[in-house]
Amino acid sequence: MFYVSMFFQYLSQYLKTRLQYRADLFVEFFSDLLSQAINLVFILVVFGHTNLLHGWNRDEIIFIYGFFLVPYAVFSAFFNIWDFNERYIVKGELDRILTRPIHSLFQIILERLELESLFGAITGLAVMFYAGSRLGIELHWYDPFLFIVFVIGGALVYGGVFIMLACISFWADARTSLMPMMYNISNYGRYPVNIYNKIIRFVLTWILPFAFVGVYPAAFFLGKNEWYWYSFITPVIGILFFVFSVLLWNQGVKKYRGAGN
Amino acid sequence: MNNAIEVQKLRKEFKAYSSRSGLTGAFRDLFTRNYQIATAVNDISFTVKKGEMVGYIGENGAGKSTTIKMLTGILTPTSGQISVNGMNPHKEREKFVQTIGVVFGQRSQLWWDIAVQESFRLLKKVYKVSDQQYDDHMNHVIRTLDIEPLLDKPVRKLSLGQRMRCELAAALIHNPPLLFLDEPTIGLDVLVKLKIREFLKEINEKYNTTILLTTHDLTDIEALCERVIMLDEGNVIYDGALKNLKETLGEGKELQFQFLEKVDLAAVKHVTDGMPVKWELDERDLIFTANIEDSDELISRVITAVAAVFKIKDMKINETSTEEIIRNIYEKGAVDVG
Amino acid sequence: MDKYLEMIRVRFLMMLAYRTNYYTGIFIYGINIGAYYFLWTAIYGGKEQIQGLSVIQMTTYVAISWMARAFYFNNLDREMAMEIMEGKVAVELIRPYNYLGMKTMQGLGEGIFRLFFFSAPGLVIVYFIFPIRFTWDLSVWGLFAVSILLSFFINTQLNLLTGLTTFFLYNNTGLIRAKRVVIDLFSGLLLPISFFPGWAQEIMKYLPFQGISYIPSMIFTKGFSHQQAIEALGQQLLWVIILVIPIQLLWHAAKKQLVIQGG
Repeated sequence: MFYVSMFFQYLSQYLKTRLQYRADLFVEFFSDLLSQAINLVFILVVFGHTNLLHGWNRDEIIFIYGFFLVPYAVFSAFFNIWDFNERYIVKGELDRILTRPIHSLFQIILERLELESLFGAITGLAVMFYAGSRLGIELHWYDPFLFIVFVIGGALVYGGVFIMLACISFWADARTSLMPMMYNISNYGRYPVNIYNKIIRFVLTWILPFAFVGVYPAAFFLGKNEWYWYSFITPVIGILFFVFSVLLWNQGVKKYRGAGN
Repeated sequence: MNNAIEVQKLRKEFKAYSSRSGLTGAFRDLFTRNYQIATAVNDISFTVKKGEMVGYIGENGAGKSTTIKMLTGILTPTSGQISVNGMNPHKEREKFVQTIGVVFGQRSQLWWDIAVQESFRLLKKVYKVSDQQYDDHMNHVIRTLDIEPLLDKPVRKLSLGQRMRCELAAALIHNPPLLFLDEPTIGLDVLVKLKIREFLKEINEKYNTTILLTTHDLTDIEALCERVIMLDEGNVIYDGALKNLKETLGEGKELQFQFLEKVDLAAVKHVTDGMPVKWELDERDLIFTANIEDSDELISRVITAVAAVFKIKDMKINETSTEEIIRNIYEKGAVDVG
Repeated sequence: MDKYLEMIRVRFLMMLAYRTNYYTGIFIYGINIGAYYFLWTAIYGGKEQIQGLSVIQMTTYVAISWMARAFYFNNLDREMAMEIMEGKVAVELIRPYNYLGMKTMQGLGEGIFRLFFFSAPGLVIVYFIFPIRFTWDLSVWGLFAVSILLSFFINTQLNLLTGLTTFFLYNNTGLIRAKRVVIDLFSGLLLPISFFPGWAQEIMKYLPFQGISYIPSMIFTKGFSHQQAIEALGQQLLWVIILVIPIQLLWHAAKKQLVIQGG
């Protein structure tokens, strides 16, 4: 497969560049760890004042957070498109991308690989095992497989939403602050959605379906039967959103106005 | 099929927003926007044969870049037909770009942080070039452009001239039959320019590569292209041989004088009163230029008249330069030749 | 001074020009406040008070912190990182103004824009949707105004510091992201500082973060007495002054670096 071989070509270039800047790699790694720790602190402080959040206890919430970190790490490693608008539209880098015989979105993903983010998955797994052991969760033979399916589904949800956000640049004059703001919203998928009212729950499930990156799939491993249905459609939602975002992208590229005109 | 490029009634419009002035105006813009349609390329048609080298010229904003971007599949046309290498650039983009090479003078095609040869290696894979093809072709390119010593340096450490040569080599990795060059010599010194021109001629001869070139530097065009397409405000105003343009419009001669004493323009004009002469003065070098028709008799008369009154230090008789011709065309707005 | 005022105005106009951003921004802030409101009602779960704050005070706290955030928040660190990496800073240096001062003014222009077109209408909407109690005590509003202005300066100074690290790091996006998370938590945006365990509160007293969100929000919700509020303002001002020092040091070092590397 041409695209698979291209992936490895870019990967090797990526490694060469990154190894030149080892100090930065360390800073990056450390700051990721810090962000993760701080989110945990928030949960711990909150549970210093309450025991249950609409029927979910502290360790369950921590488990959800641990799960969330894994698809999030995958997403960050492959969909590093926060600055798509400045880098590719305003500065016209997309011109270059479009003169090469590889799908434009795929090229951008390859160029912007940030595999060091995958370390976050290790933190996530550690957090899950910690919370899981305190909760006495049993591991079944099929759990690892479902876990992988859910993680991919979650990462695709994330990727789909952010690609769609990037697509806004093709049509409108959207600027920087949009994607970081969205980051805040993505965090709410880490809390049990039943604490929210209908509107927000609806938004987090069907419009910006971040609940599929955290609470829905994690609920399966926590044995929360009432959410199983949502857990199982995680990959479906992921694929739907991702496919839709790619189609939107293909339309958007036609609208590209070029830079410097 | 003998044509590399066929363009018919090609049109590109942009929606341009105009903002209202002042704070209240800006606030109103939040809810409703004023916009107008600007036509960057206005129903142009032309064809380029295989193996031709064509200069595509025009002032800033004439629509050159927009055309090139449509021809390379970057932009979608508003209307009209394009067929480049027998394909529709935007529709079959990924297959199509395999058959072209593109150099944007003001934008790098190479990866900033990695060594030049790493970029080449990556591009070689991107364009699915086999080792043997690569060796046959690229060794030659690298030698001719003299970039061997640059290969292990990261792009960000190269000078502009070094980078441009590498960009050119990168655009040729898959040995495309058609090459688009957008301002390839911008900001380069004369030696690098000459090297690049020579190289372009060579690949044109060797592989019959079609080249479409935009540039501000007319000497590039003179050195390379037999044919020019001239654009003004989105319209083609001249399409034909550079030679014709010169013969038809450049029938004049230029007489340049430098004097031993200090002389003012009015005095010089006075001497040739009654003769069809247009005088110009280059203030810095104190060169007086007389633009006149190409007639031996008239030339002698002007020289005699001037020499009779002023002491001459230096004198030249030139053909009108291409630059002068083009400036005239833009002033008049259209060309009847062709 | 004129040129700095002009910069504020230009930024203000720029913000108005990007209307997609404006609409989505309102939508996203709405969801943020809503989500935190429900998170907090879930945390209270019927309790009257936590750490001396009632549910209503807490809701007001959340709403007002987000609205204040719209004012003090900016992306100067990311902008600077961009400009530095592209070498535009070298050009800025030869312009007849102070680069960091100019950046601050840009941030202020952005902040004022959001305050009027974003926070003010937003607050009115939030007021009707959620059970929030506003005070009509003018002195509280006055103290609050001074306080968010100081928050703006503290936050902007921290952004300038983060932005300046670009001179010394190849890629500081991670650092910028981490800084954002640190500020959201330790500034008291996500939860009041008084909710932290005692030892953590003690440490945070010696950090500038609570001056960004906790102090203005507590002043507004009357979680502070008048006396406490005045003291808190003094504390904010002190931080604004202290933070000038590392910025100047880094800026100085950065300029040296710039000369050596040639931008």
